[in-house]
Amino acid sequence: MPPRICRAARACALLALTFGGACAPRHPPAAPNAAPAPAFRFVDVAARAGLGRVILAGRPEKDHVLDSAGTGVAFLDFDRDGRLDAYVVNAWSLDGATVTARGRNALYRQRADHTFEDVTDAAGVGGEGEWGAGVAVADYDNDGWADIFVTTFGRNVLYRNLGDGRFTNVAPALGLETPGWNTAAVFFDADGDGWLDLYIAQYIDCTLEDVLKAERTLSWRGLEKVAFGPFGLKGAPDRFFRNVAGRFVDATDEAGMKDLALGFGFAARAADFDDDGDLDLYVANDSDPNYLYRNDGTGHFREVGVMSLCAFDGKGAAQASMGLATGDVDGDGILDLFVSNFSEDFKTLYKGLGDGFFSDVSAETGVGPAVYRQLSWGAALADFDNDADLDLVIANGHIYPQIDRHPEIIGTYRQRASLLENRRGQVPAGAGETLFRDVTAEAGPGFDVARAHRGLAVGDFDDDGRLDILMSALDGPPVLLRNEGASGAWLTVACEIPGGTAVPVGTKVTITAGGRRQTRDVASGDSYVSTHDPRLHFGLGRTEMVDEVLVQWPDGTRTLRTNVRARQILVVRKEEKSPTGGPLEPTRSGRH
Amino acid sequence: MIRRGAVRGAAVLGVVLFIASDASTQPRTPATPAEMVATYDALADTILAANKAERKLVLSILSATYGHAQAEAARARQALKANDAAAATAAIENLATAVGQIATEGDNAVAGIRKRLLEGGHHANSEGEAQGVYEEGYVIVTKATKKELLDSSQALARLARAPKAEALEAEWKKVEAAWTKNIAGAK
Repeated sequence: MPPRICRAARACALLALTFGGACAPRHPPAAPNAAPAPAFRFVDVAARAGLGRVILAGRPEKDHVLDSAGTGVAFLDFDRDGRLDAYVVNAWSLDGATVTARGRNALYRQRADHTFEDVTDAAGVGGEGEWGAGVAVADYDNDGWADIFVTTFGRNVLYRNLGDGRFTNVAPALGLETPGWNTAAVFFDADGDGWLDLYIAQYIDCTLEDVLKAERTLSWRGLEKVAFGPFGLKGAPDRFFRNVAGRFVDATDEAGMKDLALGFGFAARAADFDDDGDLDLYVANDSDPNYLYRNDGTGHFREVGVMSLCAFDGKGAAQASMGLATGDVDGDGILDLFVSNFSEDFKTLYKGLGDGFFSDVSAETGVGPAVYRQLSWGAALADFDNDADLDLVIANGHIYPQIDRHPEIIGTYRQRASLLENRRGQVPAGAGETLFRDVTAEAGPGFDVARAHRGLAVGDFDDDGRLDILMSALDGPPVLLRNEGASGAWLTVACEIPGGTAVPVGTKVTITAGGRRQTRDVASGDSYVSTHDPRLHFGLGRTEMVDEVLVQWPDGTRTLRTNVRARQILVVRKEEKSPTGGPLEPTRSGRH
Repeated sequence: MIRRGAVRGAAVLGVVLFIASDASTQPRTPATPAEMVATYDALADTILAANKAERKLVLSILSATYGHAQAEAARARQALKANDAAAATAAIENLATAVGQIATEGDNAVAGIRKRLLEGGHHANSEGEAQGVYEEGYVIVTKATKKELLDSSQALARLARAPKAEALEAEWKKVEAAWTKNIAGAK
């Protein structure tokens, strides 16, 4: 494997060359009497970093819901040079019933100076002329190189990474094209055989002809005619494919994942929600109950969303779910779940109760009311100020441009992304304060611009220990929000399986530092049709030493590192001997 | 279901009779042909009967599911008496599933049909929906009842992880009460 080394210092120096010294050294000494740097400050550097290709989005008036669906983004390291690259999915533009342009997806390779070069043509990953929707990055064939799966309104594309900077589309040969309106894709090892299986969510059963001939017929408050749907349109079934040594077999029914309700699937995430050692799957449906597929440990599932209380909001109502984010927001060691929804509705934060059960805590945590008016899509729970808790970023943007003619009602079509600060440990119990506080207005110029945001991925692209944000927006270029906030110490853990998968989905890392225990997992899915940086980032506050880093690999084995200094990218390889005498025993017997 | 052929035949017959009568008589006040009225009347019976049938069918689905829940509750009690924790867990989890399905007026397969009806513009309880009493497409179970049963479903599912007889009885009583009060008497 090429070196994926800690290069924070070098990164900062290079960043200084690129961005005028803003990060050299990383925390420059404050001038006397200078105001302290704000905890949150983001600047959009997409244009100067070279992320410029406009993302097409149907017609200007968004006559069909597809025009408004937007596309996904991904952070990945496709060439294994240790630097995060970016992939941005593109759609088409229409003029009435005429296709005026087929947008090309873009692969941006990061240079050493943290600018990007467009290598789409050389890599051959432009999207095959399909109307792109989402992107999932994984190493489906376990050859050590990250592959790119692009969901589409059309035929999906699986770009197999050839390892020399080029890719080839293997979706037709592998039977993964699944024609239709595909949205989220989640690679995860459902059956513990070491191969990543694949869940593909679908949205509406419609044809290109339906899209081209669409007219705005739905009355919005008696004021405007807007795009019709999804109510009144037929849902399309989600699919599940088992990966059998690099070949895919449709196992939707056999695995217990038949989409009987034909929910309008938009987002999905694999995680061990019930903490029993296997990966479950949550699916967020627009306007329909959400699904939670509980894994029985053999790759067979039971849909338990209703009894787990994460199918509906706290009042028992199905919501128009668009995206999701997972993480332990309250530090109790149990995964919580955030689901983004339509405008004029609470965005729902489900507190994990343990064993895969949830309770809607949107109101008391402040999350619900903070973004009540926005229409929310991609999201992530991540520690942006490095204070050892998970903040929440949300990509917002409405689907009806027509609401701009009535801004007094619910606001505008273009909306600012939202940033909610987690104040765990800062809020006295019973003080009437909420766990989350909306800090969007104080998060810097990057959060000042209203756009029709959709996809969102989080990653530390410049390796400075502060998490950055990549977003897509309709009819505009991507947005790359560089984090320039004054933050605490940090640790990033890069998990590697030499000779195995390049993206060890499901690997869980728990660190203990400063009296706090934090857990992250290598995600697949999450947000809205997007893929985060696979490296796991931890904010540490003022703690400069991590007592313990425990890596739980997908096969159940564990690796322990102790007394790890902060402010580095720690690479943990699976075979590594731990200081306590080598790889630990599997956590569970029998399955692995 | 209405047979399209029958309707079409009635319409043709009506037109023929209308033309024939028009040719042989003096001008008179236009009136809908009696045959068309009769056909429409029959169609109305069918439409109204279909609505009643939908209600009865959903009640049957709910009753069957409730029966299933009763059986699982009994099975769970037996398992608890026999100190068979695994069997108790399985039975209580099935019970939780059944109660959840009562809350949602059926499982995901039924939800798919309900969605299809909504897509076609059919609302069983449009007035109740407008008043905020029913969710879209729901026929019997109100929002309030749904919430009660969802809470019970989760409580039972959590109980399945560590089954206890007293807790089972307490939660089952809540389900019985919601059923008796809000669903069993529905017509």
